[in-house]
Amino acid sequence: MARYFVDIWQAVSSAMVGMSITIKHIWKKPVTLQYPEERQVLSPRFRGFVHNDMNKCDACQICARTCPVDCIYIETEGKGKDRWLTRYAIDYNKCIWCSMCTEGCPANSITMSHDYDHSVYFRESLVYEYVDPTVKKIPCHKEKRIELGYHVMVKPEKKKPVEKPAAEKPAPESTEADDKGETK
Amino acid sequence: MNILTEMIRGWFGPDKMSDQMVLILSAVTLATLMFVVMALCALVFTWMERKVAGFIQSRYGPMRTGRWHGWAQAVADMLKILGKEDIIPAEANRFFFSFAPILVLLGSLLAWAAIPWSPNFVSADLDLGLFYIFAVSSLAIIGILMAGWASNNKWALYGAARGAAQMVSYEIPLALACIPVVMYTGSLNTSDIVIAQQGGVLNWFLFRNPFIFVAFFMYFIASIAETNRGPFDMPETESELVAGYHTEYTGMRFAFFFLSEYANLFLVSLIASMVFLGGWWSPIPGTDFAPALTFIIKGVLMVLLNMWVRWTLPRVRVDQLMYLCWKVMIPVSLTCVVGAGLWMMWRGQA
Amino acid sequence: MANQETKMNSGWADQDHVPGIKSELMELNMGPQHPATHGVLRLLLETDGEIVHKCTPVLGYLHRCAEKIAEGINYKQFVLYTDRFDYLAPVCCNHAYVTAVEKLMDVEVPERAEHLRVITAELSRIASHLIALATFGLDMGAWTPLLYCFREREAILDLLERIAGGRMLYNFFVPGGVRYDVPDEKWTADVLEFVTMLETKKVKDYNQLLSYNKIFIERLADVGVISQQDAFDYGSTGPVLRGSGVSFDCRKDDPYSVYPKFDFEVPVGRGEMGTVGDCWDRYMVRVREIEQSCRIIRQAVDTMPGGEVHAIGLTKPVKLPAGAAYSRTESSKGELGHYIISDGGQMPFRNKVRSPSFCNLQIIEKIGVGQMVSDLVAFIGSLDIVLGEIDR
Repeated sequence: MARYFVDIWQAVSSAMVGMSITIKHIWKKPVTLQYPEERQVLSPRFRGFVHNDMNKCDACQICARTCPVDCIYIETEGKGKDRWLTRYAIDYNKCIWCSMCTEGCPANSITMSHDYDHSVYFRESLVYEYVDPTVKKIPCHKEKRIELGYHVMVKPEKKKPVEKPAAEKPAPESTEADDKGETK
Repeated sequence: MNILTEMIRGWFGPDKMSDQMVLILSAVTLATLMFVVMALCALVFTWMERKVAGFIQSRYGPMRTGRWHGWAQAVADMLKILGKEDIIPAEANRFFFSFAPILVLLGSLLAWAAIPWSPNFVSADLDLGLFYIFAVSSLAIIGILMAGWASNNKWALYGAARGAAQMVSYEIPLALACIPVVMYTGSLNTSDIVIAQQGGVLNWFLFRNPFIFVAFFMYFIASIAETNRGPFDMPETESELVAGYHTEYTGMRFAFFFLSEYANLFLVSLIASMVFLGGWWSPIPGTDFAPALTFIIKGVLMVLLNMWVRWTLPRVRVDQLMYLCWKVMIPVSLTCVVGAGLWMMWRGQA
Repeated sequence: MANQETKMNSGWADQDHVPGIKSELMELNMGPQHPATHGVLRLLLETDGEIVHKCTPVLGYLHRCAEKIAEGINYKQFVLYTDRFDYLAPVCCNHAYVTAVEKLMDVEVPERAEHLRVITAELSRIASHLIALATFGLDMGAWTPLLYCFREREAILDLLERIAGGRMLYNFFVPGGVRYDVPDEKWTADVLEFVTMLETKKVKDYNQLLSYNKIFIERLADVGVISQQDAFDYGSTGPVLRGSGVSFDCRKDDPYSVYPKFDFEVPVGRGEMGTVGDCWDRYMVRVREIEQSCRIIRQAVDTMPGGEVHAIGLTKPVKLPAGAAYSRTESSKGELGHYIISDGGQMPFRNKVRSPSFCNLQIIEKIGVGQMVSDLVAFIGSLDIVLGEIDR
């Protein structure tokens, strides 16, 4: 019989304690963000959509090989000095934002941006094209790249940042690239 | 009611209409008014529930629709729900399936008639008002059972069976908790109950008698169970039974269940404020400027209390629910009835 | 308790209650789309009213052939597939895999990397346990603890985002170390601050709001009791095993990484509210493990040495000598093991995963019988399964 009343007392008192906790939160400021207006502060290492600087990329294919899900498509034509990059595409149907492509990149051209909220109407539009061969092809051979003023990979012992001249040049962007607003 | 009949008579001229016609007209007007008020209340309360839940849970709740704190969210939801496809499962019993929501809504709608909003406005001033309210609000049980059975869905059937058992059981403590008050007034007329509490906060039944104070909490708990809300939301139990008895309902039919849930919530809160909290009387004697408003404010406060409980406590199991009703609440309510009677004799209040 | 009572009643369905009216068991399909099955678990129930007579789990709705994929990609690439096993505690899963690879590779992992691994793994374990509490509360109908737990988890995600870059799937470990060093000095301070906040304030809040709520206790005490023998027989590990009163924790009993350096306790179910091994015990083991993880994190941060964070370069391919290795680590759900057979190449010949949720789930066939449907929901919640890990 005592147990019966103890149970009732416990039920009432524990409910009261719980309710005192919940009522406290009414006056606290909510922790959620009003998303489109208020944005989260992203850390520098945040892995958003992949960005490839086409001035620096020389189609060495390392990123495509490192990619665990094969979401980077690189197509070239020609051989030797006359080798041109005709397609560089990242398929976001597959991409898993693992950042492995950025680690291996010898030219530091592929990076993770802080964009994270793109949306498209069709699956096909998730394949982001970076090069439009009808507008411009990208040279792959080192000499050709120097000749045409593209960025070339610098040997590590030089320790001199060469990003500056490359950044001045306008990035060759295709129409597709315009759509997605892929700027870092 | 009388004012309304006079008004109608006045509009049409004193001799143009027979008494019956006037009566029917005023009844129709009142019923429409009640329905509109009820629908509006349900809209306001859905929004309020979300905001309360939001703030309790450290978030905002609806913020977009209608600019200011998403006030139009409930309206938008209602409009959306009206546009939804009405699906009746192939194997369902079509007649009962479509009739159940109407019955549930009817139960809560009918009970609204006997609510005394202010000294001279009560739609149906019945001698057995309180009894009538409890009687018609149990119509919902039939509706829920019907909905669960007719859906031809096992989860819905579970929900309905649980719901029926629960609501039938909790009718008893609900009514028992009101009996001490009726002992004081000697009348089941809702207006009489309120009039008996005139004269400030100390004259409310809640504070007149310690046993009625306990009975009030019995009433409160039973009313949560009656309205199928957490922690006693057995018929729905989202995490166990998917959506309980209205699993298969869509669109307007679902809206009916939804509407009746919030109408019931407000109804039991209004009854609580009518029976225990002095109805339309303001807490300080002599300041009864807006009786109806006072009454509604008390009801809304009770609703808020209800929501606070819902968003705090976990759900009980169905057998524990029955235990709580038959082995705790009914004995305690009965004790309250006896105790309140003895107290009345001792203090010479009878 | 409920078990025995209903076992006595199990003959009901075959008898005629009322002469002439034959009743039969109802087959009920719980899942794959059901709010209480934590993903896409499907349970085929045979019920007599509310009482479950037979319970058959049906798996495979989330199968992604991860073990087969492992045979086709190299060791480094597979780390991020392990993220997807138990997506609530991905770092713990990484830990199991890289431990196995390192065992076979025979590489010395830098001390600092081990400390970072322990810190992130324990943060991840806390996050996973917070989700366990949250969803368990939700199963029991308490909505508010869900949001509170998620609020604290969010803080953990922020911390892990700052060090690893991802918010949910970190890909933080590499064979031979971790991917990055701490982002800045403030990070460790923030970790300590968060841990203190969690220990002193939040866990108390959860306890008051949920753990010691009478309704909650009544729902869980004496429900779904797993005896020690059953737990052994069915190969349960983690909080499920510890809830039954067995003190077994891979961090303590088969140490890996730098766990032996740290001082922590292994909480076990003590049957405070009912029988040892009931749902409440399993739940409470998780709450107490949060506190212990906080202790570990504090020690790990305090004693973190300097130095490199990866032994092999990030870009270098990993090549394993031929052979086989099995690693067992304590993930948030239990003992997570990886068995790797290498034929000397860049890819494993076979990679078998022993996932704790999968082994913990099988006991449902025995314990689930004789319970009410509501208790079954409580039982599933107390097992804290993650379907990503069950189906892999």
